[in-house]
Amino acid sequence: MSRTAERPGLTLAVGLAVILTAALAPAGLQGGPTPLYSWCIWSAVLAAALLSLRRSGLFLAATLVRLAWVLPLILLLALPAAFFAPPERRLEIAGALTARALAAASAGVALAVRLGPAGFVAGLRALRVPERLVEVTAAALSSLILVLRQVRAMLRSREARRPGYGAWSPLTVSPRRTVRGFGRLVAALLLRSLERAECLDRARRARGVGE
Amino acid sequence: MHIPDGFVSAPVAAATWALAGGSVAVALRAERRDPTPAPAGVLGALAAFVFAAQMINVPVAPGTSGHLVGATLLAMLVGPWRAVIVMAAVLAIQAVLFQDGGLTAFGANLLDMGVAGAFAGYAVATLVARAVRGPRGTAAGAVVGAFVSTLSAAALTALWLALSGLYPLRGILPVMLVSHAAIGLLEAALTGAILVTVLRWRPDLVAGGDGASGARRPAAMAVGLFAVALTAAAFLAPFASSLPDGLERAALDLGFAARQNPLVASPLEQSPLFAALGSFAPVLAAVVGTLVVAAIAWAAARSLSKAGDVAHR
Repeated sequence: MSRTAERPGLTLAVGLAVILTAALAPAGLQGGPTPLYSWCIWSAVLAAALLSLRRSGLFLAATLVRLAWVLPLILLLALPAAFFAPPERRLEIAGALTARALAAASAGVALAVRLGPAGFVAGLRALRVPERLVEVTAAALSSLILVLRQVRAMLRSREARRPGYGAWSPLTVSPRRTVRGFGRLVAALLLRSLERAECLDRARRARGVGE
Repeated sequence: MHIPDGFVSAPVAAATWALAGGSVAVALRAERRDPTPAPAGVLGALAAFVFAAQMINVPVAPGTSGHLVGATLLAMLVGPWRAVIVMAAVLAIQAVLFQDGGLTAFGANLLDMGVAGAFAGYAVATLVARAVRGPRGTAAGAVVGAFVSTLSAAALTALWLALSGLYPLRGILPVMLVSHAAIGLLEAALTGAILVTVLRWRPDLVAGGDGASGARRPAAMAVGLFAVALTAAAFLAPFASSLPDGLERAALDLGFAARQNPLVASPLEQSPLFAALGSFAPVLAAVVGTLVVAAIAWAAARSLSKAGDVAHR
């Protein structure tokens, strides 16, 4: 469950520092063995992230699900890097790269759960990120739920119109029709999102907000 | 294409963060100067749309899936500077709240998908739209631009990973380009399909791409073409043949090659950085050369345009 931190600026700054420490600890790519302190940093960051997630009310299973989502990409990048390493160091490089990426990702998950969307925006403001960028980010986060709801509704009505006809299954049979149909669907989503944003903006200006 | 945390080295992370931060600062400044401001809500809705569209991964080849990047589409809708701002918001939300792309790699991801994607796509789209007038040209330009922008983003991703010491550039670059050619085709097809629908129902939403509106953004187009030139220079340099060119071959065959005596030795070749870079030295030479030529061309164009202004008065 997401909760807004009491001091979002500090939470965001500490979270970023922890992620940077884990992600930039040497993983033995420069030729020498992976330093012992790197393994210590990754273990400490992983343990701290799990503890923070537990305190935020997220159980281990939910944490593992969130980490499992990034694992395929981590392995996709780590395994070829190990392939290019000398044969006697392949296992070590693969392990170090995976541990490094997983530690940084777990710290990221902990930060996201601790901050939540509102805390993230407040944290950006506290860190003095340019106001225009914060405004766009806040507007994106508030539109996101509406857009995702709209996507779900559109896919449901598409399914109702053509039951048992998946969005991508006919890609190999009729690629042109499939891409065109999907393009129209996404374009309709874009137009509906923009029209809603324009209506909201008109309503805000009518009430004198932002003038 | 989102690089996660743990795969870019500290120097690459610092350099890409600095470049991306500079790009966002320039984009914010350009947007402030724009006489037609876009409400934050509209840009936010576009960011949410791109976020949702990027969530849908599509199988494009055996073992490879791709998603819409959307930078060229954004550049066609709201202009390339605003596209950079929107992409920065999308990538920041993805990195912090969804762990899709790392924080250390945020600069690299923004340069790949945001800056290069928007400017390379926009520049190519504008060139095509000038050749083929009307909505057809706008859509065709967006299709070609989206394909080029995907390949530029893939090439830059390969460069960051190679510079971080993960893989040799010669190994990763062909893999990235080949796998992203299929993704680029999908991006191009979807961008075209979306833009055709938008042009049909809300043509007022398309800000750039046709000849007239493209002409109003010469700076954006120049930046885009410069980005394409820089990317091409950086990536073609490592594949340059080490064999002598025609004149050198003739000089060698006729025996006067030893008589060559340059007036000034190349300062770059003499620098210790050049020697330290090893196989990346040609990349540095190509990038520095492109930058110097662009700076000279810009200075010349500026002085010529000033002279033209005086003559007209």
